Amino acid sequence: MDLASILYLGVTFGLFVIFVLIVLRTYSKKRKDEGEIAKYRMLDDE
Amino acid sequence: MKSTEYNYDIVRSFVNWSVLWGLVAVLVGVIVSFQMVDPRLNFPPYLTFGRLRPIHTNAGIYGWGVGVIFATFIYMVQRLCRTPLWSPKLARFQLWFFNATIIASAVTLLMGYTTSKEYHEMEWPIDVMVVILWVVFALNIIMTIIKRREEHMYISLWYMMASLVGVAILYLVNAAAVPVSLFKSYSAFAGTNDANVHWWFGHNAVAMALTAPPLAMFYYFLPKSTGVPIYSHRLSIIAFWSLLFMYLWTGAHHLLWTPVPDWIQTLAMGFSVMLIAPSWGSVINGYLSMNGQWHQMRENYLVKYLILGITFYGLQTIQGPMQAIRTFSAFIHYTDWVPAHIHMGTMGWVSMICFASIYYLVPRIYGKKLFSIPLANLQFWLILVGQLTWSFSLWIAGVLQAGMWTAMNPDGSLTYTFMETMVEMYPYWWIRSIGGLIYFVGVVVFIYNLVMTVRHGEIASTEAAAEGRA
Repeated sequence: MDLASILYLGVTFGLFVIFVLIVLRTYSKKRKDEGEIAKYRMLDDE
Repeated sequence: MKSTEYNYDIVRSFVNWSVLWGLVAVLVGVIVSFQMVDPRLNFPPYLTFGRLRPIHTNAGIYGWGVGVIFATFIYMVQRLCRTPLWSPKLARFQLWFFNATIIASAVTLLMGYTTSKEYHEMEWPIDVMVVILWVVFALNIIMTIIKRREEHMYISLWYMMASLVGVAILYLVNAAAVPVSLFKSYSAFAGTNDANVHWWFGHNAVAMALTAPPLAMFYYFLPKSTGVPIYSHRLSIIAFWSLLFMYLWTGAHHLLWTPVPDWIQTLAMGFSVMLIAPSWGSVINGYLSMNGQWHQMRENYLVKYLILGITFYGLQTIQGPMQAIRTFSAFIHYTDWVPAHIHMGTMGWVSMICFASIYYLVPRIYGKKLFSIPLANLQFWLILVGQLTWSFSLWIAGVLQAGMWTAMNPDGSLTYTFMETMVEMYPYWWIRSIGGLIYFVGVVVFIYNLVMTVRHGEIASTEAAAEGRA
């Protein structure tokens, strides 16, 4: 595997780590209610 | 915020023009399908399959698809941000520049000027126009989001922003070229790299122009049509980020069994299969949003379009990853199976959502009741039957074609000549044309309904006009 391949896979893995952090933040208990507010607010945009 | 403060003039204009380009796309599609069953319908040099086919695809993607994106994004961003559009003048410029770009594309493609890159055929001067157009659009939407009065960002806004950024990056990279004259350029990339970059663009254009925007529309117009919120906003956020994370690596599945490095092909194959999860995250979210509301499939024509649309998205995102697996790809790639897959996505998923969005918008932006809900229901069945006829005929044709191409005699020679396989395709191509015609009639019914709504529809308040129950 050459340097370019390692870089390619490294970027992929780095993005995966960011994705995992987003999942953890979105589903944290602290943000349970806050994470659902937008879906109610959008119904009231008339 | 009062509805009257929102800018609907520009939304009306984009709806009108996108519908016109949609009609052109479907009409040219029907014409080229007949050119395949009867080559005498080719009239060189301008009206041949080779020149009309890119007009069909580009009118469909950039005229119809992107036109509806412009209309719905400008509508949704104002509503979701509770603030008027940042610059109506810029949007008006964008409208006319959009039409100029589409016309310039059609004329140059008819004249035979092409980069020969599928879905990116336009030569460099038109690339420049597209970039200006997208920058103007993105600036207006992003500035509206920045000055929003609503603290919470709904999922549709996330998909809209992803589309704005994604399309810009993809288009700029793939358009990199060295111009040698006004209408001739050479790609900045060579050989395998060119193919890899091009299909990175090609597949992710599907993501950023034909997946993220319809999802933004679906997540907005489904709850607005049913009157109940989506099942889970957090699930929609996870599906969004995972879709973005996984999509960008999948382009090379268009290049399986080619000189592209094997590990890139394997990575693309793996990520394509993983992509089922975020895609179905949205599908399941859509279905669960209908809990206790399934009766609306009978009573509300908008819901019918939206739920069938997301169902085709679900089917598309199972079929696509299966096609990205090497062994299956070896069998069906280059056959008529592939256009059937694409058309389930464009005629089923994307256009169903676009039709629903426009049906939702028109009564509100014109302040008139829809002229005929029975006609909207008729159109639903016409486009559903047309699309299924189209796709099933070519799925069967594709399997037959693949089987004949790979059939071998005991001595290792091919059983069938290429011409023999072509002859077998004709019945399926006829059925495909009939399917396309049925779909075209559906589009004509759609336009008739819209024109009659605008010209003779019963005047009502925007809220009353919006009643979508059959």
